[in-house]
Amino acid sequence: MTFTDLATISWRSLLRNKRRTFLTAISVAFGVFLSVTFTASGDYSYTNMIDSSATMGLGHITIESPNFNDTPSLALSISQTDKIQDLTSAIPGIEASFSRILGQAIFASGSKTVGGQFMAIDPTKEKTQYNFFLKYIEQGHLFSEDESRGIVVGAKLAEKLKLRLRKKVVYTLTDKKGEIVSAVARVSGIFRSGEDSIDGSMVLLPIKRIREILNYKEQEASLVALFIKDQRQATDIALQTSQILQDDSIKVLTYKETQREIAGLVAMDRASNYFLQFLVGLLIAAGILNTILMNVMERTKEFGMMMAVGMSPGKIVSIVLIESFWIGLLGLILGALITLPFYLYMSEVGLDLSRYIGTDYNAAGVLIDPVLKFILFKESACAIVTGIFALTMAAGLYPAFRASRITPVDSLKSI
Amino acid sequence: MNRKSIVELNQICKIYQQGKLQVTAVDCLSLQIAQGEFSALYGPSGSGKTTVLNMIGALDEPSSGDVIIEGKTLAGMDRTALSRLRRDRIGFVFQAYNLVPVLTAYENAEFVLALQGVPIRERRQRVMSILEEVGLADLADRRPDELSGGQQQRVAIARAIAPEPAIILADEPTANVDSATANGLLDLMENLNSNKGVTFLFSTHDQRVMDRARRLIELKDGKIASDGVSP
Ligand SMILES: Nc1ncnc2c1ncn2[C@@H]1O[C@H](COP(=O)(O)OP(=O)(O)OP(=O)(O)O)[C@@H](O)[C@H]1O
Ligand SMILES: [Mg+2]
Repeated sequence: MTFTDLATISWRSLLRNKRRTFLTAISVAFGVFLSVTFTASGDYSYTNMIDSSATMGLGHITIESPNFNDTPSLALSISQTDKIQDLTSAIPGIEASFSRILGQAIFASGSKTVGGQFMAIDPTKEKTQYNFFLKYIEQGHLFSEDESRGIVVGAKLAEKLKLRLRKKVVYTLTDKKGEIVSAVARVSGIFRSGEDSIDGSMVLLPIKRIREILNYKEQEASLVALFIKDQRQATDIALQTSQILQDDSIKVLTYKETQREIAGLVAMDRASNYFLQFLVGLLIAAGILNTILMNVMERTKEFGMMMAVGMSPGKIVSIVLIESFWIGLLGLILGALITLPFYLYMSEVGLDLSRYIGTDYNAAGVLIDPVLKFILFKESACAIVTGIFALTMAAGLYPAFRASRITPVDSLKSI
Repeated sequence: MNRKSIVELNQICKIYQQGKLQVTAVDCLSLQIAQGEFSALYGPSGSGKTTVLNMIGALDEPSSGDVIIEGKTLAGMDRTALSRLRRDRIGFVFQAYNLVPVLTAYENAEFVLALQGVPIRERRQRVMSILEEVGLADLADRRPDELSGGQQQRVAIARAIAPEPAIILADEPTANVDSATANGLLDLMENLNSNKGVTFLFSTHDQRVMDRARRLIELKDGKIASDGVSP
């Protein structure tokens, strides 16, 4: 008896009770729908959070001095960043790289002083899409190459220091040798992201000027921030990067190490998401088990007769398991049919949640796009399909076992 | 005439434990069935007919004694071997629930051949000619619930003879059909017996079956009360 013969018996047996089969398949389809919804919104928002966090200075992958991540300091720097950028630009998957200097400073204007952070950047190279702060400039503009005294300040910081465009601000920092140095800058732009902790402490400065002040050499910087096309490849690309660079005086880290809050948040959320899906899956599996077990119990005589005329218990097990498989497949097809339109809408248009959560909703200090969209990664789709089949087949195991234990004598007796 | 022995029962007993009570369904019974027989076990309800048939058919094990089919002792065979033996050497026609409800008459008739892995083309030839023989060639595509009780039994007979087994065991095959249908079924089986030499062993209450059987074995309380060639 071929597999096709067994599959035919299974399929027709399911059709004997169309309503029961359909309802069970619908429950599987509902599971597919929920699973896709959970996973695709997760895949989208995690990517969104990670990408958006990367634009806040460190990129997806950061090349920096070995101790910089644990004890950031202007005394820790890397040299020849142009060479590093050159070498890494050949690695597939990397979209952009920027040399930046990051540090603490005290800002003063008139009688007011405020502590904060600065990010020194090269205005000729930076692009808005890789720089969170540039995206939110609401007054003025980013300093140009010639404006060595330019500064872009956060709106809250400007408020605290009573700064306006073209106003003077003095910043003080500790240089490489531990000496305190000060410099004057003139406000060329003000940004407002909506997140007070950022707007109240962050400024952008020209990297050329900061190098001079800090006694850095040309091409010296705190780090090189790498941006990659697909955040899921961060670990792989980081590994490739460190292999290509072959330099013990630098370290290549991914966002998981440099932006632990966001990585932790994503991991937690993903775990609870999976757990929830698993629970829903168990519920659905219980429904499938019930259906298949009923199908088996109603056919005790039939199975007994088939075994009497020489069908092996193994084939009986196959028939029942194939029934599970059919239900899984049917559920998957129905699930795809009901999920696809919704998925397409959500991946193209999305749901604007700004009315409910506002536009400055943040997680671990990272602003989150208030439009919820769907992306389903290939591996997530595979995981859903695998999960559905694993659950349906698992649900069929017990009924299949029961069916194989039927003895022809007993089942045929009660006619 | 020294015909080949197909079934040999040596002192078989079947004892059921019902709570503290022991029920002796079959009591030290010995019996031989030779090739080409058309025999019937008869006796009152509870006399052990079905139990004997089930033990011959390797569906049930005796509590003691030997069941020997075509010279092979069943005791000690594992589940798979017994399943093979039933598939290849024994045909079954039950009183009811004979057919797989989701398969057509044709598919039911070829069921055992399919289990044996007989190639489709050969299967097709054999099954079509057998359906012809049992008079169901026109109804090959019907499902059991679209067939009468008698037609269903014919499909069961077709399935039983298709693999050319050593013996066909038929437990009250006419119990659920009317008189005319019963006669038709008996004609069919008689013809298969005389034309093709198919060996049949029935269990029955039915006088019509007893009238046709050429050997009548009477059971009483699990023992053979009489055994003789029908007059
Ligand atoms: N599983 C069982 N447990 C206990 N007793 C059983 C069992 N199966 C059969 N018996 C007993 O064994 C005896 C023989 O039963 P069997 O079914 O062989 O009789 P039968 O001759 O086929 O009867 P009938 O004409 O009613 O079919 C009966 O007394 C029956 O009650
Ligand atoms: Mg009986």
